[in-house]
Amino acid sequence: MSAFLARNRLIVLAYAGMVVLLLVTALFSPGFLSVSNMRSTVVLAAFVGIVALGQTFVIIGGGIDLSVPWVLNSAAIIMALLCGGQDLPLVWVMPLLLAGGAFIGLINGVGVAQFGVPPIIMTLATNVILQGLILVLTGGSPTPSAPALIQFLSVGRIGGFPVIALIWLALTLVATLLLSKAAFGRHLYALGTSATVAEFSGVPTARTTILTYVISGLTAAFAGMLLTGYSGQAYLGMGDAYLFTSIAAVAIGGASILGGSGHYLGTVAGAMVLTILTGLLPALNLSSGALLIVYGAVILLTVSIGSETFAGLGGRLRRKES
Amino acid sequence: MDLVTVKGLSKRYGGIVALSEATFSARAGEVHALLGENGAGKSTFIQILSGAVKHDGGSILVDGTDYRPANPDAAQALGIAAVFQELSLIPDLSVEQNIWFRHEPRTLLRTVNRGEMRRKTLALLEKYDFPALRPDQELRRLTLAERQIVEIAKGLAKDPRILILDEATSALPAREAEWLLKLTRQLAAEGRLVIFISHRMAEVRAIADRLTIFRNGSTVAAHEANAVSDNEIVTQMIGRHLDRLYPERVATATDCIALRVKNFSSGSRLSQVDFALREGEVLGVGGLQGHGQRELFQALFGASKASGSIELWGKPTLINNPRQALTGKDGIALVPEDRRGQGLLLTKSVRENLTLSVIKRFTENGLLSRQKEAALVKEMVDFLRIKAGTSEQLAGTLSGGNQQKVIFGKMLLTQARVLLLYDPTRGVDVGTKGEIFQLMRDLAAKGYAILFHSSDMPELVHVADRVMVMRNGGIAAALEGDHISEEGILRAAMLETRVA
Amino acid sequence: MSAAERPLEMAQRPAEEKQARPGIDWRGRLLDRAPFLVACLMLALIVAIYGSLQSGVFTLDEINLDTAAAMTLMLAATGQTIVLVRGGIDLSIGGMISLGTVIAATRFTDDPSTTALWTLIILALGFLIGALNGLLISLLKLQPFLVTLATWSILNGVAMIILPTDGGSIPVWWVGFASAQLFGLTSPVWMLLALLLFWWWFRATRVGITIQAAGSNEKSAFLSGVSITRVNLVTYGLSGLFAAGAALFLVTQTGAGSPTIGKDYILPSVAAAVIGGVSLFGGRGHLAGTLIGAFVLTLIGNLVFVLHVSSYWQPVASGVILLLSVLASSVAEKAARNRVQ
Repeated sequence: MSAFLARNRLIVLAYAGMVVLLLVTALFSPGFLSVSNMRSTVVLAAFVGIVALGQTFVIIGGGIDLSVPWVLNSAAIIMALLCGGQDLPLVWVMPLLLAGGAFIGLINGVGVAQFGVPPIIMTLATNVILQGLILVLTGGSPTPSAPALIQFLSVGRIGGFPVIALIWLALTLVATLLLSKAAFGRHLYALGTSATVAEFSGVPTARTTILTYVISGLTAAFAGMLLTGYSGQAYLGMGDAYLFTSIAAVAIGGASILGGSGHYLGTVAGAMVLTILTGLLPALNLSSGALLIVYGAVILLTVSIGSETFAGLGGRLRRKES
Repeated sequence: MDLVTVKGLSKRYGGIVALSEATFSARAGEVHALLGENGAGKSTFIQILSGAVKHDGGSILVDGTDYRPANPDAAQALGIAAVFQELSLIPDLSVEQNIWFRHEPRTLLRTVNRGEMRRKTLALLEKYDFPALRPDQELRRLTLAERQIVEIAKGLAKDPRILILDEATSALPAREAEWLLKLTRQLAAEGRLVIFISHRMAEVRAIADRLTIFRNGSTVAAHEANAVSDNEIVTQMIGRHLDRLYPERVATATDCIALRVKNFSSGSRLSQVDFALREGEVLGVGGLQGHGQRELFQALFGASKASGSIELWGKPTLINNPRQALTGKDGIALVPEDRRGQGLLLTKSVRENLTLSVIKRFTENGLLSRQKEAALVKEMVDFLRIKAGTSEQLAGTLSGGNQQKVIFGKMLLTQARVLLLYDPTRGVDVGTKGEIFQLMRDLAAKGYAILFHSSDMPELVHVADRVMVMRNGGIAAALEGDHISEEGILRAAMLETRVA
Repeated sequence: MSAAERPLEMAQRPAEEKQARPGIDWRGRLLDRAPFLVACLMLALIVAIYGSLQSGVFTLDEINLDTAAAMTLMLAATGQTIVLVRGGIDLSIGGMISLGTVIAATRFTDDPSTTALWTLIILALGFLIGALNGLLISLLKLQPFLVTLATWSILNGVAMIILPTDGGSIPVWWVGFASAQLFGLTSPVWMLLALLLFWWWFRATRVGITIQAAGSNEKSAFLSGVSITRVNLVTYGLSGLFAAGAALFLVTQTGAGSPTIGKDYILPSVAAAVIGGVSLFGGRGHLAGTLIGAFVLTLIGNLVFVLHVSSYWQPVASGVILLLSVLASSVAEKAARNRVQ
């Protein structure tokens, strides 16, 4: 058990931070821990968490995905357009849009793995191209409202539990299986730790890289559809906030931006921390500006802690060597 | 009076003694050769002189005053510059910017005075009759040999009293190597001391006034160059070794060919190599460093591009990447040269490292089986006697010997029976070295076929059944039976190389 | 050396004379500058199409106008170029630009001395905050991406506290600065020339060369005695300084402060540099390329306008151009590498 704690110190710290934040918030705003409030907090965190799932995979593999905002937004808008408020088309629209998200991820991954384009540039380019195409498609005007079924997925409840929370739980299980229980996870951590060692060990590095971007495309598209259900309609710019929060959730969850470490379970805590903070600041009568300052400080703090452990390990390595 | 006098110099890296009680003395105006096998202490000695490393004990007197520089900058200020093989050049700067880096002449605007820099560069290049170099060419456009020449110019730009040349000729083609020897004499004639390290006996013969021989971290002899024969030098370099480190060599090779390589070339460093490795055989690959050994191992493993044909156990095989080499029982596995950069995930556990290449072996229905993995890990930890607290210990925190055992375990788990071992005992303690040699003989007895390179010649002599000596990217000689000796390898690798 | 020893090299230079006195390697130089030339070509193409569809393109007025439109991005991208040449990235310039505009919009008055004082404060703040980024990166051994992402958020937050929504006011005479003319050229054009002059000077100084060297090969630079901490301090400090400059210019265009406007310049500043041939891996790049990249990104807007297509095609076009440039440079790099081999 202690070994588990030592290995996953940063993830444990992220959860500890989450609990402390919850208690502090409850102190300032007594109603915060109420069932209804917790429910809405988890729902909001779920959107961040689902987008950050793909981002986690990409970052563990040593990359970054900046195309998240407009993959999300495109899926949202195209879904609303194609369904026109009807439930029935969802049967083919959802798989189609998931495939579309995966396809954008495939393009990103191939650009990075096969053509050697830096991830920042590759995903930035697909992001602005998607943005433009969607603007052209909609002419910049809002789209019809979301189908009822997707609203159910986002705001509905089953036995008191928000449906989206259940979806998030299921995705968390899948992600955990992939990272901890599948060959893919081993390949991914090896790739992110050292691409050369991974290559020398027979890891399919290109395929693994591409797959991370495909997953990121999938989760961003999925989140876009769910978010449409949450807000009742799709609108331009709805994905913009998720670039920062998806990366921040991964960083707060203890992953190294250099790749090779971290876990989706940490990202879950990161998503919760970010969402609780949004709830805490109004309770403290602080503005949204203060929230951004706190976000930045929290990121700096967590990466510094991560770096300190790294430095500590480095020190130990050096001692062993001399 | 001597310009440099070194007495009782010693340096330890942890438990490993790199230098003990080394002595050295050299006069201004002479070319002084340093000779010794790899690991004899030459490089530690010159690193101390150049300020890159600090010594633990002993004294260095330069011009009669105590010398202990804090860093290379300080050493240069005292007039001592070194030209190392590991280059300190900046790829995106031009030749002249590299030569004068951080010492550029400047204008009133604090910018680099390009005219002045060009003048100084041309003057320097002309004074020492440098081979044609374009001062404005970017460094990354240059060949390895040209870069070596720039590194030499960078050293000379500091106008040093003592210049150290560390195997500077090894990267140079004949004409440039000849120039360097002439340059060396010229520098000595100007009253400078040149400390010259080379493995090429003919070069040493051609230019050295005196020579000092290192062995096992100590000075064994110093001679006037014309008072000693080649054979005496070789004997003093080799000395007598403790043989009990090595297991008894029992011939286990069969007639079955495990690996046949034909017409194998890669890049400009490996050309048209042919050889056959038999089942149960340990085939040594020797020669001086940088003569194609690295390229041979990398290309066989698919880590670099190659042309020619490879047959494994009689079947033609295409190996374009390591995945195609690691195909289980009929594949090839490698213990790579760079343990930390190519072999191990330092920040991951012993377990994850051991099983990285064989994830399929413990996957059931798409999920990893921790029990099966643990069994594989235990098998290797026990078999190789890997000393780790638990299998969850991070690989980076293990000793060098145990790290190497983890890499061996990772290789053995792949079940490949053709093994490529590139310098597997480098940086490994003596005890583990013995274990590795024993393991190699045991594996050979079980029918494994092993291609074995070592930068330490005695290892080849005592462990390999046959030794191929590489020179200039090809196989210069194949030694068998009684012909395998350090002298034989050295002769094939050194004495018969071209005379400069 | 026998012919069999190094067959490839021998094949590439059959004549020994060539080695003895190498001529100018035109093809190599061309490959080196390929990304920059591609950018020039794109700009020429855009200007040609624009000019053929619209009258009055080739006039001083048009140059004045377009330069003013591109100048904020150019200033931001100048700092970014220095950071990229160092081998890093600076996302915090978005926060610094926002912060600069809101300070200007709330503190500038009609009294020139007050305004001058606050101008200096904004510039100093830019340098200090940038230097702090550099210090954090060096001392805590953190990744530039995350450090500057965090400081971006913090600076943005501070800007929002100072001025929650777009507004404030900028003195008329400060706004008028952008249209002040000398010899028929407005001040942005002179600023553009000043930027080029600065770069010409800066890259020839020891500091400039050291930054480039650290980006080219940090280990070699360190072995040659370079202090990496000092390099980072100066690099990110300059980036912050130029971001502050961008903010001071931006308010002449908007006439107001905005706590969110800075984010529109973060990734475009990187894109402008990459289009202009600056390598994301450090060590290579020229400000002239970046400025052309900034012009390309700005003029696409004009082009979309005169082509009478939806202005929404602008981001599509800039994304495609970005991809084309980076692919061009990776192809050129591969070709160059093969030649060296």
